[in-house]
Amino acid sequence: MPIKAKEYGVIGKRQPKKDGLLKTTGRSQFTDDIILPGMLYGKIIRSPLARGKIIKIDTKRAERLAGVKAVITQKDCPGIMTDLDRQLLCNDTVNFVGDEVAAVAAIDDDTAAEAAALIKIEYKPLEALFSIEKANDKGAPVIHSGHENNYADEFDYEIGNVDEAFSVSEYVRVGEYAFNPNHNCYAEHHVVIADYSIPGKLSIWMPNQSPLFIQKSMGGILGISEGNVRVFNLNTGGAFSGRIGPRKHDFIAALLSKKSLRPVKIRCTADEEFIVYSGGGYSRYIIKTGVMKDGTIKATDATYLFDCGAYWISGVNFLHRLKYHLFPQIYHMNALRWKERAIYTNNPPNMYPHGAGFLQLKLAQETELDLIAQDLGMDPVEIRLKNAVSKGDTNLTRAHYASCGLKECIQKTTKISLWKKKYGKLPPYKGIGIGCGAMNSGGYDRSAALVKIGEDGRCSLFIGLPDMGQGSHTTMAMIAAETLGIATEDVDIVAGDTDAAPFDIGAFAQRGTFFTGNAVKVACLDAKKQLAAVASKKLGVKPSMLIFRDRKIFPKGKPGKALTLKDVISSDMNSMGGSCIMGRGFYNSPAKTMEPWESTLAYSFGAQVAEVEVDQETGIVTLIRVTVAHDVGFAINPMAVEGQIDGQVFSGMGQIMTEECIMERGVVLNPSFLDYRLPRTFEVPEIDYSIVETIDPYGPFGAKEVGEGPLVCTMAIANAVSNAIGYPVKEYPITPERVLQAIQNKKKAKGNEPLDRLF
Amino acid sequence: MKKMIVLNVNGETHEVAVNPWKTLVDVLRNDLRLTGAKRACEMGTCGACTVIMDGQAILSCLTLAVECEGHLITTIEGIEGPDGLHSLQKSFIENGAVQCGFCTPGIIMTAKALLDENPNPDDIEIKDALSGNYCRCTGHIKTIEAVRMAAQTDREGD
Repeated sequence: MPIKAKEYGVIGKRQPKKDGLLKTTGRSQFTDDIILPGMLYGKIIRSPLARGKIIKIDTKRAERLAGVKAVITQKDCPGIMTDLDRQLLCNDTVNFVGDEVAAVAAIDDDTAAEAAALIKIEYKPLEALFSIEKANDKGAPVIHSGHENNYADEFDYEIGNVDEAFSVSEYVRVGEYAFNPNHNCYAEHHVVIADYSIPGKLSIWMPNQSPLFIQKSMGGILGISEGNVRVFNLNTGGAFSGRIGPRKHDFIAALLSKKSLRPVKIRCTADEEFIVYSGGGYSRYIIKTGVMKDGTIKATDATYLFDCGAYWISGVNFLHRLKYHLFPQIYHMNALRWKERAIYTNNPPNMYPHGAGFLQLKLAQETELDLIAQDLGMDPVEIRLKNAVSKGDTNLTRAHYASCGLKECIQKTTKISLWKKKYGKLPPYKGIGIGCGAMNSGGYDRSAALVKIGEDGRCSLFIGLPDMGQGSHTTMAMIAAETLGIATEDVDIVAGDTDAAPFDIGAFAQRGTFFTGNAVKVACLDAKKQLAAVASKKLGVKPSMLIFRDRKIFPKGKPGKALTLKDVISSDMNSMGGSCIMGRGFYNSPAKTMEPWESTLAYSFGAQVAEVEVDQETGIVTLIRVTVAHDVGFAINPMAVEGQIDGQVFSGMGQIMTEECIMERGVVLNPSFLDYRLPRTFEVPEIDYSIVETIDPYGPFGAKEVGEGPLVCTMAIANAVSNAIGYPVKEYPITPERVLQAIQNKKKAKGNEPLDRLF
Repeated sequence: MKKMIVLNVNGETHEVAVNPWKTLVDVLRNDLRLTGAKRACEMGTCGACTVIMDGQAILSCLTLAVECEGHLITTIEGIEGPDGLHSLQKSFIENGAVQCGFCTPGIIMTAKALLDENPNPDDIEIKDALSGNYCRCTGHIKTIEAVRMAAQTDREGD
């Protein structure tokens, strides 16, 4: 039985970040802060055409320029593919504006830029495709041979008897939703330093979420074993599910270093940032939902079309296939059909925005749910509670919920936001909306941790989990401190170098607290057992009777007999036959017969209520308040949980309300943090938090994820806007233009649209 | 052709040879190796390069180094006193206003310029001052709170 939070010494309390001092004083190092001896600066020469044939590349003048140390083209990496359809440097065809054709390395940035301008490339333009509609046309040019219909990926999935479930449904609704491209806008631009000057050994510094994936991917593609790729992961200035694998410039820096025998830094400029971003591409959902008159959901049939751009980033884009899991994740249903089509265009390659594109799917699903509720004369909260999953349930796609606070979250957030007093009773152009979601705490995966306790009782915790700002290192230190009966400040985190780090998949899929946290706990329990063996001899009591608290070990009920940790370790280590305290931990998911992506051990659940005001003259939406309730299992560090909620509400409001890459013929027309409209300080809403704790049986101390769960619940904002207007907005982001369009559409519909009367 | 200039940064004078087109952020980072001010958008849209010059928060990516001679420049590395951290640094740590930390030095410098001039800002004034500082992680909620709390601590200390 888990003990109550108040009985813990360390966890469950607000803990400022361990690296706060470094980050507030300018001491923390990011990749661009590093200058290595002899380091060169790289520059990439990119295609100016959206599609074309390369006729000729002339690098002679660049090579002759003083200060240039390496020039590379496809000849330097023949046959090396970074994805199934993508060469490391373009050979004969370019497929988007920004496609990498050549690169230079020189003694400084200015020389590199000058050399880049001296490389002459002749192209023959080819007809390019900029929309999934055009790419789907009969007779459209084929972007990649072997994909004659321009489908990069096709995936169909069906579970349950879909046709039968629809035939028994008493009400069926179809909705179509469109999402425009968006960008993660990392504060820290893409930057890399590669040192490949020693044959067969590549050292690489870059902001990232998964050193292991960088090792595996770069090693595999460059033909060296992954252990020979040493990744330094210092600080990462924003990741948001976009920095899991390596990007093109990382490989290019490695090749330039190999050729010049010197370390090479490449840093993307603001324009390049919007070329290499691999954010969310244009996508569309067509959703058919069958329900009973009492609101019980019977079936969902969804088609998902996605503009993947010029190349299919296979290493991470498989996730697009698996999004269907979200449909029955929090709502019971009998059957589901899913059709995913990723379509090639000549836009920059896309991956997904913050939240892996789950928010977009949820926006479509939950807006439909609101519309269905209104068609049936139900309250949106009622229909959600009616279908909501509970603890102990196994859903349609075989996800099992060992803990689940969904209903509690819905009840809490609606109570605090005074939903009943407000819904349907607000003045015109003021709106309220609800959104619910769940999120997996990793997949079926694994992490390792090592702990070394020094003679002075200080603890070094070796982990491979990056901290991109979410505070994972602080959380790991808290778990270690709680387990060993010491303080968070007694724990030093050793991370950021794959040569020293134990195995870890990385900080993505919301797995850090759950998997690495469990591994840290196992490692510390191992060290604790070693300490207990020594202390039990000294104190003459059984190891099981020992209490570890405040850096001391004492027999249960006899704190007066306490030995300090320092005494126990030091005396044993320095005696004949004594030992050194080192704990090791590995956490692996228990064996299951299902595929790894079919379920995970623990899910967070949440509900949010948003309140907005719409200016009917300008179409500007003001987000006034968001009331959040999130089931995180157990909040190891409530301050970090709040920080995650803040950031995700903010990210969600951006994706829903303002953020859009405005594209014209494959070019982003607004490539800056000003023209690409992100929320700023004035748009910050009031946020009310309720942390719901359900103590998950698998999580470390009952903890689950909070890394993306709150983000997928922010669709409450969209529902609030539709509620304020009295008409749904079905194209995102909901810019003022689209709000005004919806107001116009509502007027034109004159009540013919069934939604009108329902708001 | 490089030009010799003398920069006064954090109370120290530095003689550096710079190309006339080099920006202050480049010289601070590459020549003086003060890497707290970050090089990010390089077009004045993110505020990560913010430093203080003669009491004003400025964007060092839009300021040429040669223009800075004769001015007093303060960077994030220069606000820690002999008694420890600046109240803003403490407040940012204690209030959870630091996440990835990339934009943090710029935000703190902007906030310092605000509080030096207006020790009692209301929330609108704080938001106004920080509106040019980009932050993707915190949603600005705890950064605004941290500035408010630092101002309060300073006032109580006076």
